[in-house]
Amino acid sequence: MSDTSKLSRFEAVVLVHLDAAYNLARWLTRDASGADDAVQDACLRAFRFFDSLQGPSPKAWFMAVVRNACLDWLKDQRVRGTDESYDDELHAASAVESTECTVARDSDARWVQAGIAALPREYREVLVLRELEELSYKEISAIVDVPIGTVMSRLSRGRDLLQQRLLESRERKRS
Amino acid sequence: MNCTRLQQVLDAHIDGELDRATTGEIATHLAECAGCATLRDQRSALRQELRAHAAYFKAPAALAPALRRALAQSTDVHSDQAAKPRTAGLSWLHVTAFAAVAALVGLVSGYWLAQPLRDNPLRDPAVASHVAALAPKRQLIEIASSDRHTVKPWFQGKIDFAPPVKDLTGEGYTLLGARLDQVADKPAAAVVYQIRKHVINLFVWRATDQAPDAIATAGVRGFSVTTWATGGLRFAAVSDVDGHDLTRFAQLVSTP
Repeated sequence: MSDTSKLSRFEAVVLVHLDAAYNLARWLTRDASGADDAVQDACLRAFRFFDSLQGPSPKAWFMAVVRNACLDWLKDQRVRGTDESYDDELHAASAVESTECTVARDSDARWVQAGIAALPREYREVLVLRELEELSYKEISAIVDVPIGTVMSRLSRGRDLLQQRLLESRERKRS
Repeated sequence: MNCTRLQQVLDAHIDGELDRATTGEIATHLAECAGCATLRDQRSALRQELRAHAAYFKAPAALAPALRRALAQSTDVHSDQAAKPRTAGLSWLHVTAFAAVAALVGLVSGYWLAQPLRDNPLRDPAVASHVAALAPKRQLIEIASSDRHTVKPWFQGKIDFAPPVKDLTGEGYTLLGARLDQVADKPAAAVVYQIRKHVINLFVWRATDQAPDAIATAGVRGFSVTTWATGGLRFAAVSDVDGHDLTRFAQLVSTP
């Protein structure tokens, strides 16, 4: 296959999912330039292995590659010691204010944003894949590389944590 | 079904991941148990809140062009090394890791595999038109309006049939507008809706015969596609939402 036709096939099969890829990367790295780097890295990796891609869900495959690139980016950050302890108020505020994000600047949006961003990574990723990408448990299990039962329990646990935060923040508002 | 068991599977139930028998048992229990019904309501409220307010970060406009440049450069490198076998640069670790990912994706994507693609040759062209319409610089909507009395007459004189345009706002599907498009080289009306943050393209074109065709949903390359035919028109709805949402959409559109 010629490289040009490989490029255009890659465009049609993989790059059409660029928004989904970027959204996952953004939520995983919690950093705009980190998401850029990870997605770019993932695309190059995916392109290299694209010829041997078999199977009917290129989206799940690509998302798995993106997720791995994000984990590598996070590891790099830790090694460099630049992974400061995560300040969810600060990040939540900047996420809400960022121009590419479509959320209104009301307190509900702020709460949801901060709540998800502060979740441990393994709950955050399944929640984003389910609620924002609307993927099935099977697809999420392929992307995150865990059994379907684990996807189910992580989603439950993640939602428990969020719900708890929601109740607490409403309590605070009332008092 | 008792309360403990219900609470274990409540999330999977809300996510539509359980089989019909279990779903039935859950419905029976929820109708009788106020405590569990409250838990269900809290979860549904949480979901609504998440879907309404969590940011969906779209790729910045500059990212795709940057990627294309990087990919084009990487193919230049490849052609320089054309004499070498492609896998020469890969370590065994890469190969094994990739094999593992491929095997896993292959295993679990049975969901998409299980959908017969052969039986409806229009799904692929419909997905292609959907993807093309969402590409940057393409116009997704030629007439933007959430009023069906504005959108429907817009097609007059442009195509030789009248596609149904419905107000489904109450059901969560917002009408965004319409445009003229093509599916497999046939002129088609494209009516554009949105559910939550996802665009639905509803393609309508003239069927070659009058035979009706039942609503059927399948997955194609990560998109959901629902097709049906009625009254001499063919319909294909394409989106990246859950297949259930698209099937429900088709049922709403096709109800007279």
